[in-house]
Amino acid sequence: MVSLCVAQTIAGYIAPVRTDEELMAAYIAGDKAAFRELFKRYTPLLQRAMARDLRRPEEANDLVQQTFLHLHRSRLDFEPGRKLKPWVFTIALNLKREYFRRSKRRHETSLEDDRIAEPFEGPRGQERSDAARETALALRALPAEHREVIELHWFAGLSFPEVAEAVGSTVAAVKVRAHRGYVALRARLGDQAPDPERVSDVKPSPEGSH
Amino acid sequence: MDCPEIRDSFVKGEVPAGPALDEHLRGCLQCSELLARDAELGRSLASAAAGAMPFEDELFAKLEAGVTRETGLRAWLRSRPTRLRFGVAVASVLLVVGLAAALSRRPDFAEYPTARLVLLLGVYSAGILLAFGKELYLSARRGSLGDHVGLLAGALGLPFLIAFAPATEASRHAGPEGALNCFLYGALLTLPTAALLWAFDRDDRPSMRTVCLSAGALGLSANLVLELHCASGNALHLLLGHASIGVAWLAAWFVVRRASVRS
Repeated sequence: MVSLCVAQTIAGYIAPVRTDEELMAAYIAGDKAAFRELFKRYTPLLQRAMARDLRRPEEANDLVQQTFLHLHRSRLDFEPGRKLKPWVFTIALNLKREYFRRSKRRHETSLEDDRIAEPFEGPRGQERSDAARETALALRALPAEHREVIELHWFAGLSFPEVAEAVGSTVAAVKVRAHRGYVALRARLGDQAPDPERVSDVKPSPEGSH
Repeated sequence: MDCPEIRDSFVKGEVPAGPALDEHLRGCLQCSELLARDAELGRSLASAAAGAMPFEDELFAKLEAGVTRETGLRAWLRSRPTRLRFGVAVASVLLVVGLAAALSRRPDFAEYPTARLVLLLGVYSAGILLAFGKELYLSARRGSLGDHVGLLAGALGLPFLIAFAPATEASRHAGPEGALNCFLYGALLTLPTAALLWAFDRDDRPSMRTVCLSAGALGLSANLVLELHCASGNALHLLLGHASIGVAWLAAWFVVRRASVRS
């Protein structure tokens, strides 16, 4: 995401922005500021990935904190050359699944539930647009495995290979899930039933295009 | 152009276009869906992707407090690399099995059929390694209890099946007595491994996966030790004194889990 990026510092000279992986390596070496920077980068992505299934923002924040606590506990497992983002989301998704198992709640909640129909608000109190709300509702109606892939790609900013790594699947399978989800979403947003043949007879696009 | 670039364009409020896009769409069904019907789906998903939460100092302060509390032996142990945690867990079983084989070997060990010994050692060891591996390594999808039910059933059920296997010639005539001693011997010798598994667990509250895989591995470890220690071939003795240890560990882990959930 930020590899090879540069940013102008306040002092006016060009300083390289450290990649997520460089920050993680620095944190393992004892740089606490690097952990704060990682938290700053990943919290919005994790909140977006968590919040859509949860009733209250506090629950999402709690899972975000647990994700980072696990990241801290697992820090010595981080290997140089490995991408950080899929690893963080693997931890986050496992924690979310465990949370639902513990609370014995279903991921797929009723669309009639007003609290769910009004998903986690964005910047404090800011109204979401009608289009965003409709899309959020349509997403909720998707099967969990389709929704998960679309949410990770769109709201957490993961590429399809990264999504595949995070969910423990292949790139081809993830693309099929995304395509089926898109077809169903388009049908829902257009208020028409999806053509079952289109949804089921999907072939993944080539591995190279992600 | 690739899929993430197309997504990023939408999120920035732009609708991607141009020859590079056309080239990409020829091989990408997913992005074709996003751009169909005046890019209706791409625009909708972009609108839903907007509105990130700002960085919150309070949230980070809570996390820092949590990290600061990560002190002591357990915090140190569970933050060790997974390869090391796995190796230490396996070594703890090997140590106990080695000690049992060296210090309190079954009286008929010399007559014990080698093929049977190798088979049992192989099956038990494979089960233990599999359970430790699944428990300690961070898999992409940890899975629910249902995903591990086969391994759990195998680990807990195998000693029960072996109880009904034909006994060796020397152990055929033994009675059921001494089952409690064997139970205590096996349970106590696997206690250090259980403590290690608890310390190695990175969850604050053991998950069902941890509970089941730990109990399975501990049950198999105890039965491996007892196979080398006890010469009884009596089915009742084997059921009560050997096979039941895995079930007892399962119950014990449930108690630990329930206690940690309450606390």
